[in-house]
Amino acid sequence: MTEHGALSILANIIPGKQEYLTNLLKEVDDNREDTDGIIPFPKLTSVHFARFVILNEAVDTKGSTIPSRLAFTTNFDLPLNNHWQELITYAGAGLWKVFSCCVDFRSGDYDPVKLRQYLEQHSIKAKTFYVGVGYRSVQQVRNEKKLREDIENFADANQSSFKGKSNLEIRERIIEHVRSSPDFEWASTPEPGPGFAWKLKHYGALILAICIGVPIVLVLLPLIIIWVLIIFIDEVKTNPAENKIDKQHLRELMEHETGMVQAQFSAVGNMKPGWFRLQTTNILLMLTNFLAPYIFSKGKLSGIPTVHFARWLIINKGKQMLFLSNYDGNSETYLRDFINIAGRQLTLLFSHTIGYPKTWFMVFGGAKDAKKFMEWARHNQTVTNVWYSANKNLTVNNVFNNSKVRDGLYGTLTEEEATKWLSLI
Amino acid sequence: MQQLEINDIQGLLIRGYGELPACNFILLSIRNKVAARQWIKEILPEITPGSKKPQSIALHIAFTYAGLHAIGLSQETLDSFSIELEDGMLTPHKQLFLGDFGNSSPANWQWGGPNQTPPHLMLMVYAIDETALNDWYLKHEPRFINNGLSLIKRLDTGVISDRKEHFGFHDGIAQPIIEGLSKKAEPGNTVPPGEFILGYKNNYDQYPNTPQVPDDAFSNDLPMAESPGLRDLGKNGSYLVFRQMEQDVGGFWNYVRKVTSENGIDNTEEMIKLASKFVGRWPSGAPITACPDKDDTGLGNMDNFGYRSFDADGQRCPIGSHIRRTNPRDSMDMDIKASVEISNKHRILRRGRSYGKPVCESLDPAAILNSKNFEGERGLHFICFNSDISRQFEFIQNAWVNNPKLSRLYNERDPIIGNNLHPQDEHRQGIFSIPMKGLRKRYCDVPEFVTIKGGAYFFMPGIKSLTYLSSI
Repeated sequence: MTEHGALSILANIIPGKQEYLTNLLKEVDDNREDTDGIIPFPKLTSVHFARFVILNEAVDTKGSTIPSRLAFTTNFDLPLNNHWQELITYAGAGLWKVFSCCVDFRSGDYDPVKLRQYLEQHSIKAKTFYVGVGYRSVQQVRNEKKLREDIENFADANQSSFKGKSNLEIRERIIEHVRSSPDFEWASTPEPGPGFAWKLKHYGALILAICIGVPIVLVLLPLIIIWVLIIFIDEVKTNPAENKIDKQHLRELMEHETGMVQAQFSAVGNMKPGWFRLQTTNILLMLTNFLAPYIFSKGKLSGIPTVHFARWLIINKGKQMLFLSNYDGNSETYLRDFINIAGRQLTLLFSHTIGYPKTWFMVFGGAKDAKKFMEWARHNQTVTNVWYSANKNLTVNNVFNNSKVRDGLYGTLTEEEATKWLSLI
Repeated sequence: MQQLEINDIQGLLIRGYGELPACNFILLSIRNKVAARQWIKEILPEITPGSKKPQSIALHIAFTYAGLHAIGLSQETLDSFSIELEDGMLTPHKQLFLGDFGNSSPANWQWGGPNQTPPHLMLMVYAIDETALNDWYLKHEPRFINNGLSLIKRLDTGVISDRKEHFGFHDGIAQPIIEGLSKKAEPGNTVPPGEFILGYKNNYDQYPNTPQVPDDAFSNDLPMAESPGLRDLGKNGSYLVFRQMEQDVGGFWNYVRKVTSENGIDNTEEMIKLASKFVGRWPSGAPITACPDKDDTGLGNMDNFGYRSFDADGQRCPIGSHIRRTNPRDSMDMDIKASVEISNKHRILRRGRSYGKPVCESLDPAAILNSKNFEGERGLHFICFNSDISRQFEFIQNAWVNNPKLSRLYNERDPIIGNNLHPQDEHRQGIFSIPMKGLRKRYCDVPEFVTIKGGAYFFMPGIKSLTYLSSI
């Protein structure tokens, strides 16, 4: 069983270097599938998704300038050290070139030690890291895809010889076929599940949190009510700023959406001013981060069935929120899902940014105003300069189904169970 | 309930003119904007409002973005139209999004393509018979040239008996009911007018984005816009999508015949069944989810049905079939009520007409296969209205029709209108699977039956807005 991490590196871009960097990243993106590209992503076997995003110069709520920055992020298979080693070994030279455009980077000849030092120093932790397709390594996802395709082809080729056979017998034939193929030796045993220690830690943490959290909430309830009322007053008092949508901006975003199956979303926006807003956001994001593995464990983020990974970061000393996600479909369907399926839950997290449609008690209103929500989302969405997906032709649903197909190879099934299993192929 | 101003709405939004079977779509280019405006003024009284039920002739007019530019709207006003109207169907992103590849690539279109004269406006003429239509045309054609217009193409249409389309299936059954227009109350199929007509509230209880003009002496007949100092040019108008879709009738029936015949002997019953699985309805129009074993002509107009209660896994109506893709009703991966609600946020009002000679009179499958008249071009002039092209037409086309991963599928597209030549796809032919008890049955060599031959996005103004366009 593999667990995942989210690496996020942010560095200011040296003034005057942005254009050069943009062109360099274009080159990185053009060759992202090549093993000899500037960043040879396919060689990074621990990476599910990776991206580079240039966050353009912005103005904060007090009117000061936020310089333009580069964000480099990955969704990777733990352990972290293995991921670092891969990054430095295969992509070190490329990363050196890219981060040479950033402030405080030691220029000069490539030095892997200094590179890692710099990247580690500039890495920040996501407040919320959501995993849609959990507990599978990149390789496992790939293997199970191949396995299902092979079973499917085998089934098609043998349709006539399956005639008149029971579904249990057909399953036996399929198992025999898989067993006889040296390519699928790995499939002779199920993927090891979580051990007792993991389960103890996983569920223990939840139980502990409930035992400690519930009494704390009860004790602090009056304070929490006051807190929510403070936010409510802020909600009543402030009217969201208009989000003007520039057609050229939309076109640029669309041109970066060329995937057949998956797409990316990167957005950055100013936080509403004030200590209360910032701390509310921090608490809500931390809570979501803690609870997500329990309540969104079946590949659905608040009911949205298409998100592979997503993360929320608070950057720039609490001034801005950065949101990045990888999902199936395109940004239009994705944002429609936000509105139609998960409006309230996402409003709770996003309503602390400037320009978000008016809310009440952080969950009412908000994304219900579909037009303003779309404008807010498109306004804050920013071009993802480089985007890499290791398994770009698989949806969340496909990944889950492929595992189910594999799992059906083991143990004894009833005729009914075999029928159900065969229908997954 | 919102009161519809049907005397200002062009009548095609209200009715499909089933009783006016002769019809032409005339694509024109504006050479001289002053003369063209004068001409619009002259034909204005002939434009049919929704309040009038025409007895012998109906006339409608719609403009492309290039046409609105050519007629002389200011850049500021032009910018207030939707980005979809402005960008059209020809950008590389749109080609990817709509799935126009291979023979359907815009470079191969008969009109509206990248190297052709861009259509500026379209006249849509509906008449009681061909004679009346021709009379109208002969009377009006000379006036195009005299008024700074030139003819790009006159698209003919032809009505097929029993409301069938060329493959032989009863068509046009599932239409959304516009709230406030019909007394019929079908909660699952009734949609607010703002989904199709600008200036009314939509499914989100909001007014759709609408084009606006400055509030001045020319525009004071138009209603005030939400923003101060502007008037609403969109009110009672709509966005119209036009796609000319050629249908390969011989290819379609020969394919299903080939894959259902056993040892060289045709199995007509199985053949019709497979064709119906592709479509999701039997030739009569009866939904296969309601009568999976054989056609039931009594259910030919049935539209009030769902999939979830007895066909969730698609053993009756495959998940990938045409009508289940384009209107999933209650079958999406969420609770039934939410699915119907969300499905209804992606509806379109269809007003297409067939063109070309049917391969035979009856369009009965057996007769089609025996027909010798496959030559010539035939198909559908697909036309639909929506107030948000991106959320409605394009969504259906991209997220459903051409989505290889729809629901729990892996690599299938709509077997009738899907395009299988996406540059990133490893498959070059259609795949279609039929869920069964146990292993599904799969066809991996489904050819292309429908080819796009032309298309454009139009804006169909309300009548007051049309008056404005003629007087700027």
